[in-house]
Amino acid sequence: MIKLIQLFILLMPLITVAQVDSLSQKCTSSLSGKILDDHDRSGLAIATIAILEIQKKTISNEEGNYLITNLCDGVYTIKVTHQGCDTILQKVTVLGHTIQNFYPEHHAELLRTVSVIAERPLDQTTQTKNEVSIEKLNQSKGMSLGDALKSVPGVTTLNTGSSISKPIIHGLHSNRILILNNGIRQEGQQWGVEHSPEIDPFIAGKLTVIKGANSVRYGSDAIAGVILVDSKPLRDSVGINGEINTIGTTNGRGGTVSAYLDGNFKKLRPLSWRIQGTLKQNGTLSAPNYYMINTGLKESNFSYTLQWKKPLYGAEIFYSQFNTKLGIFGASHIGNLTDLQRAFDSPVPLETGGFTYAINRPNQNVEHELLKARFYFRTRDVGKLSIIYARQYNLRYEYDKNSPLNDSLAALNQHDLQFEITSHTADIIWEHHTVKHFTGSIGISGITQGNTYEGRALIPNFRNYSGGVFLIERWKKKRLEIEGGVRYDYKWLRIYKYEYVGTSNYELISPIHQFENVSGNFGAIFKKDSTLNFSINFGSAWRAPSVSELYSDGLHHGAAAMEFGNRNLQTEIAYTGIFTIRYSPSKKLFIEVSPYYNYIANFIYRQPTEAPILTIRGAFPGFNYAQANAVLKGCDVYANYHLFKSVEITAKGSLLRAWNKTQNNWLIMMPADRIETEITYRFKNGKKISHSYVSASALFVNKQWRVEPNVDFAPPPPAYFLLNMHASCAIQVANQHIELGVSVTNLLNTSYRDYMDQFRYFTDALGRNISFRIKVPFNTSFKN
Amino acid sequence: MKTKMINTIFLGLTLAVALIGCKKDDDLVPLPNPIVNEQELITTMKLTLIDSSDAANIRTATFRDPDGDGGVSYDLFDTIRLEPAKTWYVSILLLNETAAPIDTISNEVLEEANDHLICFSPGGNSATVLITDVDGNSFPIGLQSKWKTTSSGLGTMQIELKHQPGIKNGTCGVGETDIDILFPVKIQ
Repeated sequence: MIKLIQLFILLMPLITVAQVDSLSQKCTSSLSGKILDDHDRSGLAIATIAILEIQKKTISNEEGNYLITNLCDGVYTIKVTHQGCDTILQKVTVLGHTIQNFYPEHHAELLRTVSVIAERPLDQTTQTKNEVSIEKLNQSKGMSLGDALKSVPGVTTLNTGSSISKPIIHGLHSNRILILNNGIRQEGQQWGVEHSPEIDPFIAGKLTVIKGANSVRYGSDAIAGVILVDSKPLRDSVGINGEINTIGTTNGRGGTVSAYLDGNFKKLRPLSWRIQGTLKQNGTLSAPNYYMINTGLKESNFSYTLQWKKPLYGAEIFYSQFNTKLGIFGASHIGNLTDLQRAFDSPVPLETGGFTYAINRPNQNVEHELLKARFYFRTRDVGKLSIIYARQYNLRYEYDKNSPLNDSLAALNQHDLQFEITSHTADIIWEHHTVKHFTGSIGISGITQGNTYEGRALIPNFRNYSGGVFLIERWKKKRLEIEGGVRYDYKWLRIYKYEYVGTSNYELISPIHQFENVSGNFGAIFKKDSTLNFSINFGSAWRAPSVSELYSDGLHHGAAAMEFGNRNLQTEIAYTGIFTIRYSPSKKLFIEVSPYYNYIANFIYRQPTEAPILTIRGAFPGFNYAQANAVLKGCDVYANYHLFKSVEITAKGSLLRAWNKTQNNWLIMMPADRIETEITYRFKNGKKISHSYVSASALFVNKQWRVEPNVDFAPPPPAYFLLNMHASCAIQVANQHIELGVSVTNLLNTSYRDYMDQFRYFTDALGRNISFRIKVPFNTSFKN
Repeated sequence: MKTKMINTIFLGLTLAVALIGCKKDDDLVPLPNPIVNEQELITTMKLTLIDSSDAANIRTATFRDPDGDGGVSYDLFDTIRLEPAKTWYVSILLLNETAAPIDTISNEVLEEANDHLICFSPGGNSATVLITDVDGNSFPIGLQSKWKTTSSGLGTMQIELKHQPGIKNGTCGVGETDIDILFPVKIQ
């Protein structure tokens, strides 16, 4: 499977390359040039130059010269390999006697383009790292980022209805997962379960999940893991290419259009650029038996990238903007516990309606901006220095279900909540190249944030400064690789809050909180041979209590609970061990088993109050934020077997046990055990049609049995079983491969509720959905 | 020379897009605005009960949570004390005491009477309730009512304010609950 995916990734760039029929033409053109060291421009001998399309190969001579003759005119993909250098893959237009020089270089970082294609993720770190396959990424086009990540074993989603979805790694989510969008920590209002990550999934050329506690490289908060959202590399060669994705879905009658344009001009070779944009809309979604009112969504995103690349230095600017307006399922907003019970007892939601694209109250309106600037310099031959600065701005409006009673206030249609947070981050990282089997990096990073609110006081205003220093070294020799790292962080947080002091008077308080911690990481990979390897990693991560955990105070609408923050909360520290075995005795079979153990000291959770809280709306269950020591242990399994050449079976499963050691009971809101199997039939590539497959998958999610009685409003929903189908092919039209795809989720239109869906009290989950995808790439290469 | 120019152009371009791209920057956290609670917070429900046979015999009962949900708890929660075998004219006053001047929410309920209903559920030895005011669609409102007591004893009276925008049908089974208070009742 992995091999196949790699092959697929390798073939991707070729899809857009013109096909050359070598038999029908008289071919007298040639390609020649020099293979030069990118550093000192000296000729490199014994480099292999291969033309992938026609499988022609040659080797450079002592001066670095090469020559390939008897070629037809056309565009070819050239692969240049040289020992100790990164492989170069480049498109070259051959027209007559063409001269093209190549500049391989010794370091993976600069030519990330190539390292992504050529290196197995295994080679990069001792941590358990899973990439979402291109095939799965394509299948999830048009869905949320959370949905796209679900194909990784051990990753599930925390949903608030069908349009808000947050990734969960090994049972933990929100503030306990770090999401890096193009290398920058995503900073918004992550604390809220109904606040999904503000990232356009179409930005992602690659999605990677790093499991386990890991603060050393990426900074605090990565208690459960890290999600890397990386753009596709920009083009290296002269020309323009792009892609238009169009997706239509039946459930919600939705449509998505996303396109990008990449370019590099002959007159300005160091500059590569990309513009990208996405528009998305859907109307009311439906469960198998009814419409879920007010579940429409609108999204408009765009981004651009500019990159200036020279052998010894480079710069990059990335800007993205995410805008969404999404309706919150109307019947989920409730007045008090009696309403909740009534909603839960009713077989259909208390409010249903017809289909509409209109978005009414309650709804969310969110925008997120990211501007990133990155500069790097070669520090002679020993390393590379990168300076990265980013600014993020997140503005979130939330509208309650009911507009004010007062007509003049209602006419303004004002939001009931507004959060605004601005974050500046800066990182300086120096990486050194291999010296006596050691590679490593040292870095310093800082962040400052300002948060303000308007409307209901849910979390107070705050300002926060934090900084950290880290050192990571890796030793690699033959079959063994050892990695270790250490980091120190400091965080300063000041709150500004009005507190009620009686007789209609409020007083401003502004306490300061300080947190600091050292975290570490140690891991090793042992590759016994090509069929078997082991990796083990021990890491620690820490997280300062979030402002919502420290200061939230009041009624959580929609959750029918009163939450009280705790100002004395201490830092939460996680210690994880993950062991991974990868076994592939033949090309037919691949198995990955990855058990983990995560001990969290001072785990912050919600502890029910002894008596319900009496308010004018009635009595509500109250929750205090409390701390306990917790253990989360489990196992992820992935297996792939080629039954025949064209038929493969994939199975993946994840188990999780989450225990509160201090209270001696189960932790609530943990995903249930699940297993998913998929069978795929791949057709042989034809002349015009290629990469065709049909697949069917079955997902079984068990009931979450491990729940203490009387801590939840309703018992966990029963186990459920879902069938999904996918089919896709690529059709060649005028030298471009147009990809068509169709996916059917919840094929049997099963009515079910998931334990990790906040709206399970009110409604069934999404019914059958059929989505159609068309991807039209185009590519124009110019003569170099 | 040419490269230098290109470099300059690139740098200029980068700066330009960076500047155009950014929205206003609220970096310096200002002091928060003095508490703006929910636009129409209800802090207080006050019942005025008048003896139909003696207009000077007036009883009151109040529930008050001075800063709304959360924060400090309620500071007034009275028992409704009535005499047996009498009819009482009852009116309900809803206030937002966090606003200055104090906002009379019951006036707004009355203005939007077509979307609101106050429901009374007596329990134990309490009173029977007849709502006397009606909205534009002839459905009851509940701000005005007539209570009849019979014998002495202890009981309860649950008073709920239902918000039923566009769905009011005269019953308590629909809509969202804005108020839900279970008053103790003592008849002696």
